Amino acid sequence: MTPVARTKRTGEAGGGRPEQIGELGRYAGPATLILSSLADGPKHGYVLTKDIESFSGVRLAPGTLYEALSRLEGQGLIEAVKSDDRRRPYRLTAAGATVLRSHLAAQRRVADLGLRRLAGSWGPA
Amino acid sequence: MNLDRDEALRRSERLLRWYPKEWRSRYGEEFAELLIADICEQPRSWRRNADVAQSGLVARLTGIGLSGHALEPSDQARTSLATLGCAMAVFLVFGVAMWAQLTIGWQWSEPDATATSAGMIAMSAAVLVFFALAVVAVVPIGWTALARLARHRGAGLVRPSLLFLGGLTILIVGGRHFGNGWPGTGGHPWAHQGLVPGGVAAFTWASTLSVSSYWAHPGSLLSFPAAEVAWMAISPLAMICLVVGAAKTIRRLDLSARILHFEAALGVLAAFDMLAFLAGCSSWIIYGDAGPQNLFHVGAIDVAGLVLMVLALAVAYRAVHRARVGLNLLAR
Repeated sequence: MTPVARTKRTGEAGGGRPEQIGELGRYAGPATLILSSLADGPKHGYVLTKDIESFSGVRLAPGTLYEALSRLEGQGLIEAVKSDDRRRPYRLTAAGATVLRSHLAAQRRVADLGLRRLAGSWGPA
Repeated sequence: MNLDRDEALRRSERLLRWYPKEWRSRYGEEFAELLIADICEQPRSWRRNADVAQSGLVARLTGIGLSGHALEPSDQARTSLATLGCAMAVFLVFGVAMWAQLTIGWQWSEPDATATSAGMIAMSAAVLVFFALAVVAVVPIGWTALARLARHRGAGLVRPSLLFLGGLTILIVGGRHFGNGWPGTGGHPWAHQGLVPGGVAAFTWASTLSVSSYWAHPGSLLSFPAAEVAWMAISPLAMICLVVGAAKTIRRLDLSARILHFEAALGVLAAFDMLAFLAGCSSWIIYGDAGPQNLFHVGAIDVAGLVLMVLALAVAYRAVHRARVGLNLLAR
């Protein structure tokens, strides 16, 4: 699972739109994966699972996926797309894109720092 | 192993039962499609089943306002307060059953052990506070419900209100009927010699008669008068009607933020009162003795009741916390 910073447990407090994915508490990991998967267009549950598995190696179990989807939808970070199919697709909202962008930038800063320090102490990869 | 779609559909329907109705009506169809695909790919996956069960339980906890999942703030407060009411009802059914047993005992003879006497005094004081809090809590809710019904704007309130009133009436009438028939109370010359008036002791004893270890001893149970056995079966149903009616009324009633704050404050007081009652009850169960004529004997059902009360207190604490979270969000 992608390591995700946990800033505070406002996800636990519930309500309102989170400004950081870390605020989603234990759903931060699945939330990052789902938002990243939806970043290039709407997808329904099965395609989301396959896409996430292909780019992260993590297979989200159905219960976990829908628990995270319902939270993200409740917080306005994603929305359901109208569909005649029983498999309803979801897409990223503008708020979701902002939160994801800020989260990934923070992740990149942590990754860059870690790699620099590793290279300094242990030599380049 | 390849499964046909019908078998996968059957399995997905079974798994969906973990989720509450509201969740199923929103996500059921699409979730079933995902489950069918997953079941066809991995027919025997205990991890998937465990994951669905866990998520379903979280969804159920969310539905009763106990999980960290965000509901709309006003919904969160109302739902959590309704759950608090249910937790308190469970607590009171078992707590009052134990207390009634002790108060009846005290009608005949004072306990020997200080721990039992002190525990009884603490429990009696807590019951009195519970009663006062319940009366104060019901007034604004009842008033709001009546106002809605009077303005013909309480379409969804009629059935739960009737359920509540029906359950309450059956409990009061039945409790008084069977309480009056209990020897040693209700007009008996020894009434009122205990810690609490004999009539009160008998009424609470009769109202909670169903909480009895006799259920585990059918032979002994059948030696009871048929009317008492029937009451032991009917009174829990009346209690359930009362609690469900009250909880549904609270959930459907559009209470003002001021009333919600007031009810949440009462909920905090009630949680402390539950703690005081538990302390008294524990004092009797842990340190008390059987007393004269075995009147204050601690049975397995009392220990089981204590465990259930601790669980109910934990749920009540969580519900109070979640109600306050909803109210804080409402105030923003």
